[in-house]
Amino acid sequence: MALTIAGLSKTYPNGVKALQDISLTIGNHMFGLLGPNGAGKSTLMRTIATLQAPDTGSIHLDGIDVLAKKAEVRQILGYLPQEFGVYPKVSALDMLHHLAVMKGITNKKERSEIVDALLQQTNLWESRKKSLGTYSGGMKQRFGIAQALLGKPKLIIVDEPTAGLDPAERNRFLNLLSSIGREVIVILSTHIVDDVRELCPRMAIIAKGKVLLEGAPSEALSALDGKIWSKVVANDEELKALESEMQVISTHLIAGQHEVRIYSDSNPGDGFKPVESGLEDVYFLSLARSAKN
Amino acid sequence: MRLFWEFFRFEIRFRLKSISTYVYFAIWFFFSFFCIASENFGPIAAGNGKVLLNGPFANVYNDTFACFFGLIVIAAIFGTSILRDFQRDTTQIVFTKPITKFAYLGGRWAGSFVTTVCIFSGLILGEMAGTLRPADPTRLAPTHLWWYFQPFLSIVIVQIFLTGTLFFTVAALTRRIFIVYLQGAALFMLYLMGMAAFSTTRAVHLFWPGVFDPIGVILNDSITRYWTVVEKNSQLYSWSLQPAGGVFVYNRLLWIGVGLVCLGLLGRFFPMSLEALTARSSRRRARQALAEEDDAQPVRSRAVARIPAVHQAFGSSTSIAQFKSLTRLRILNVVRDIPFWVLCVLLACFALVNGHFAGRVEGIDVWPVTYLMLQSVEGNAMLFLFIVATFYAGELIWRERDTRFEGIHDALPMAEATDWLSKLTALSLVELAMLTVAGLCGIVMQTVAGYFHYELLQYFEELYLITFSQVLIFVLFALFVQTIVTNKFIGHAIVVGAFLAQILLFNYGWENTLYLFGAIPPYTYSDMNGYGHFVKPLFWATVYWVSISAFLGVLSIGLARRGAETSLKARLHLLRQNAVHIAPAAAVFLLLAIGSGSWFYYNTHVLNEYLNNKQRREIQADYEKSFKRYEHLPQPKVLEVDSEIDLLPESRSFTGTGHYLLENKTSGPIGEIHITNQQQSVSAVAFDRPFHVQSRSPRDLYVIYALDKPLAPGETINMTFKVSKLSRGFNDGHERAELAYNGTFIDAGFFPTIGYDQGVEITDPRRRREEHLGELELLPARGDKEASLVNLFSPQADWIHYRTTVSTSGDQIALSPGYLVKDWKANGRHYFTYDMGEVEMADFFAYISGAYEVTRDTYQGAQGPIAIEIYHLPSHKFDVQDMIDSSKAGLAFYEKAFSPFQFRQFRIIEFPRYRGFAQSFPNTVPYSESIGFIERMQKPTDIDFTYFVTAHELAHQWWGHQLIGGRVAGSNMMSETLAEYSALMTMRHKYGDDNMHKFLKYELDRYLRGRGTESRREEALGQVQQEAYVWYQKGGQIMYALSDYIGEDKLNLALKNFLMQYRYANAGTSQSTPYPDTRQLIAELRAQTPENLHYFIDDSFENIVLYDNRIESAKVTPTADHKYKVTMVVESHKMKSDGSGNETPMKVNDLVDIGVFTGSKDEEKPLYLQKQWVHDGKQTFEVVVDKMPSRAGIDPLNKLIDRNGDDNETDVSK
Repeated sequence: MALTIAGLSKTYPNGVKALQDISLTIGNHMFGLLGPNGAGKSTLMRTIATLQAPDTGSIHLDGIDVLAKKAEVRQILGYLPQEFGVYPKVSALDMLHHLAVMKGITNKKERSEIVDALLQQTNLWESRKKSLGTYSGGMKQRFGIAQALLGKPKLIIVDEPTAGLDPAERNRFLNLLSSIGREVIVILSTHIVDDVRELCPRMAIIAKGKVLLEGAPSEALSALDGKIWSKVVANDEELKALESEMQVISTHLIAGQHEVRIYSDSNPGDGFKPVESGLEDVYFLSLARSAKN
Repeated sequence: MRLFWEFFRFEIRFRLKSISTYVYFAIWFFFSFFCIASENFGPIAAGNGKVLLNGPFANVYNDTFACFFGLIVIAAIFGTSILRDFQRDTTQIVFTKPITKFAYLGGRWAGSFVTTVCIFSGLILGEMAGTLRPADPTRLAPTHLWWYFQPFLSIVIVQIFLTGTLFFTVAALTRRIFIVYLQGAALFMLYLMGMAAFSTTRAVHLFWPGVFDPIGVILNDSITRYWTVVEKNSQLYSWSLQPAGGVFVYNRLLWIGVGLVCLGLLGRFFPMSLEALTARSSRRRARQALAEEDDAQPVRSRAVARIPAVHQAFGSSTSIAQFKSLTRLRILNVVRDIPFWVLCVLLACFALVNGHFAGRVEGIDVWPVTYLMLQSVEGNAMLFLFIVATFYAGELIWRERDTRFEGIHDALPMAEATDWLSKLTALSLVELAMLTVAGLCGIVMQTVAGYFHYELLQYFEELYLITFSQVLIFVLFALFVQTIVTNKFIGHAIVVGAFLAQILLFNYGWENTLYLFGAIPPYTYSDMNGYGHFVKPLFWATVYWVSISAFLGVLSIGLARRGAETSLKARLHLLRQNAVHIAPAAAVFLLLAIGSGSWFYYNTHVLNEYLNNKQRREIQADYEKSFKRYEHLPQPKVLEVDSEIDLLPESRSFTGTGHYLLENKTSGPIGEIHITNQQQSVSAVAFDRPFHVQSRSPRDLYVIYALDKPLAPGETINMTFKVSKLSRGFNDGHERAELAYNGTFIDAGFFPTIGYDQGVEITDPRRRREEHLGELELLPARGDKEASLVNLFSPQADWIHYRTTVSTSGDQIALSPGYLVKDWKANGRHYFTYDMGEVEMADFFAYISGAYEVTRDTYQGAQGPIAIEIYHLPSHKFDVQDMIDSSKAGLAFYEKAFSPFQFRQFRIIEFPRYRGFAQSFPNTVPYSESIGFIERMQKPTDIDFTYFVTAHELAHQWWGHQLIGGRVAGSNMMSETLAEYSALMTMRHKYGDDNMHKFLKYELDRYLRGRGTESRREEALGQVQQEAYVWYQKGGQIMYALSDYIGEDKLNLALKNFLMQYRYANAGTSQSTPYPDTRQLIAELRAQTPENLHYFIDDSFENIVLYDNRIESAKVTPTADHKYKVTMVVESHKMKSDGSGNETPMKVNDLVDIGVFTGSKDEEKPLYLQKQWVHDGKQTFEVVVDKMPSRAGIDPLNKLIDRNGDDNETDVSK
């Protein structure tokens, strides 16, 4: 299967250009969508999830025109929105059964099996009979994951799925996703670079509605090999001076001092050491470049 | 104190910034404004046409009304002021500062109070603005500021203080907005329920109920029920302890006290610590516990378990499964909501309480037949059903967005229709369940009342076919509105506004079912007819509105919010894209709407003429304007009526021919015969001498025929004509009550009337002004020469010979006055010939037909056997024997006391409850199923209304069919008052004096209330014009008192003398024995009354006189011979009132009952009851009785007309 997005643009009535001529091709694998808040990730994902219409452009899932044949897409879709609520007075078990029916799992036995398995998998089994209104943020997020995986979704869209999960649950979820992601298209949006690095054979970085970079994380990394340099500076004045001279990708605080990473084809000297490039460098560099343009 | 002002100022500033404050103000402003600026707005404008729109009564009334319905506004302001801190979690900031309870609570409370008072001041300002542009300047007094401010101070401000404090206290102590609104709703409902229960007790003494009434409806009633228009237009509720025992002052003090106690409790119990205030809600507690539990779970393997494979199928069976699952979820959404259960419980309480009183109709106990029960349980249920529809339509439509579940929900593989229909279905099922609860309450209450004839089919038809359709229309509309609007609360406002707009539009003459959304024509269920001829208009109107709302439903599906783009523009765009899918359904409903609407229109506008109420009045007004000038034109009188009438009940029609023999009884020639054809039913009028039509008014309402050769004095002429009324299709309301499938009852109104008919004239002064008619012309004074020769009831005739052949369908019996001479069947129809023979009767006849069971009996009258026949519905056997007993008792009494019965038969015939009266035609009494036939006597002390009405109608065979007055003032009382008196005596002979006093207490109450609502002027009994409360209630009271003064025998003798002298007046052609008037009656009464009581005759018949008797104290002291001496101080006053209610004191020198009783209040037995001469002012009486007395009083049994009968009696003290 393959999802082909071509020339997708969307401008909101308030003038915000959420998508600008986005074209992507996504195959049967996990696809990471990296970008800062407001980059247009959620707009893009909602558009693929049939919840929003673009101004121009097309989306095809194999032979299906996603924008026209919404009903067909919805039948094979698993979607976890970035922000969602629940019906407060319904239990998770009840709600998952309902959603399973909605997803066309009409066999009662099968329905019970998958609902039970997902409840176990998301660690909600003990609380399955509690009403959703009493769930904590993390539990709600796990419930959201469980519902997205109901049925046999061929297209799974998860928008910031790891937000609100504790590290153990995050790992468990990523495991789960990767175990499924081999046969289906999974689009995962996040602003956590590690999520992508750990899971996604392919990725795209978008900002301000534009694709800044698309490809395999390894390719992107190899392009930066030997071009990332780091230096620790003592105070803000020094940092400011550096910023005006060089292309600073990121800074981290290490024991109260700034560790500065810069991009440079050649050794900038002046105390810089070459460091191994990371996906985060790719990300920040892409953003920095797009901001400059 | 500084902090207090800070909180106070904060509250005021907050309210000033809030838009709702201005909206509330505007509501009161415009309400008040339109009460004056519009003719048809508000209870005062719509009521009695003489009460000033800006007078004290109007202000008090509107203020009370505004405070009651303003409960929700008061709750919104007082309740939220304290809750704001808790909702927005600003408590942390507020309560960590050093503030005092007084500053915090006091500041908030005072700020809310001032804001609310300002909002309600819209009432005064709106009224003032309204006076600049009044609709009816004749109903406006010059602005009188105290009339505005006194009620505002003593009603509005006190109510705000009381209810505001209650809301504030509950809000502060519970800190839950839900409970505050629940409290508001509960107060509102409980009060309505209490009122409903109270009204059925028919209490006449209203002092204590008035004091304890927190809202003021009973309080108002206790103060103003007997106020005349003059009083209503000049008196405020007094702040003193007089009059009426200071009920108003006590009430206000009591409820101010309750408010103060509330504030005290609040100050005592409000905890000022943050910890106590924010004790966690149960929900929050549960969440925390669950999170802890979740954290405590053991570490599990990180390996991924296999997720079982499943099969997904999409098709129609899945759609159905989805629909079911969604519907279930949405029903849970509603039924897991506490307010829903509150509404349900209230609905059931209302239904049970009202159902309990279903068998009480105006104080009379009847069997709770199903239509009465349904009326009781359904009436209030409608309100709840509409509230649920309005509220939950919003909840369901906005459910996903309110819970932010839409991201998941909208991407599910379901059709928009599945989703939307599940909402519709869920809401409909909930409404159906509520309707079923109401219905079950009805069945339960029928069972409790011992009525086991459950008409389940009628329950089904009424609840599920008629009511549910209306609810469904409303639900669809509410769902549509919520789909369109961008905010749930705007949606609610639109839905409620649309609902209210219907009522307003109707009042303004927009009455057409086709454009009043969801309207159905009025209908009445009758045991005789079922839903009868109302079925068709109901069916088509329902189809029409259901189709239109279903069309809106289809549009709602097309416009349903799905996904992120929810602007109406985007959704309209989508609608166009999806038009193909919804077009077929939309087209079907649109075609159904157009089809049913067209059919409805064809029936109501093409087959029948459509006229709204105003247009109907215009026709009346045109008639009066055009033809009143012919009123005194000499016309011939009817001597004989002969008719052949074919009643066609199956098509609600009749046709026939008629013949009048007319004679010129005047002394001059008559060249023109004028015919009024009020019902537009007369055609082919012809005379047996050459004539031509001289003029014809539109609709043939008035046609003038010119005789080529005038009719000479004493000459007769034959007139023939056709009558017919064919029902075609159906009407939009205004169905003729006379025509029914079972129980046709038409009278001579469908026959030609000779000359101008005063009965067509509009009587309501407000409507007359609207049509630019002058004041209604009254009956001329007694002794008017011309009018004394005119029969009061049928000006076109004196006494007639009558014969008819009337036919009906094969399975029905047709009746008309006269003796049956032939009864045969032909062509599947049933024919009857009735003939009065040589017996002359009043020109007053009717034709009745129905599928009757006949119960017969015979009474041996003075001149031979008299057949008594009751024609009734086979299932209405309850009262038949009572009617026969009453007929026999009446015949016995009237023949003995007055004169022999002039006929050989007396028949009572049931007709459908489309009209609610009984009417006495010669030997024939059509009697509505709504005032007899289902009465139920449970205790011997109950009032036997059927017995009374039967005796009353029978008495009309004397007073109305033997004795008829001239067409002058007062004559009406000679039929109605005397029939009332005759029936009272018949009833007294059976049930005794105690029962009569109970009955008369209500009669007195109705008289006094009647004069309070008089829209023209009250007349003295002897000169009564149109005032039914005078000729029935006052007349009965006075005649009963007179019989008490002079003895029944003497009074009967007086009546007999009067009757024997004047019965069959003006018979023959000589015009030498004019009809009597009340002067002759009063003379006969006076002749039997001792001289020293003549004052009572004058007071009663020639004046409007009101007593104010009261007892100040009663003390008992034992005497030496073991008896008891009671010393009473009484006070007596007497007033003469003019027609408007202006009173002047009269000198009292009257004979009045003084009584001493044993036993408790309302159960007392007399130890002493004697008439004593009483004088003005205070007076002391001493009475010695054998037993220890408990009560004593002056006129203790309320035989005299006294507006405060309550203080006539008191407990005896030692």
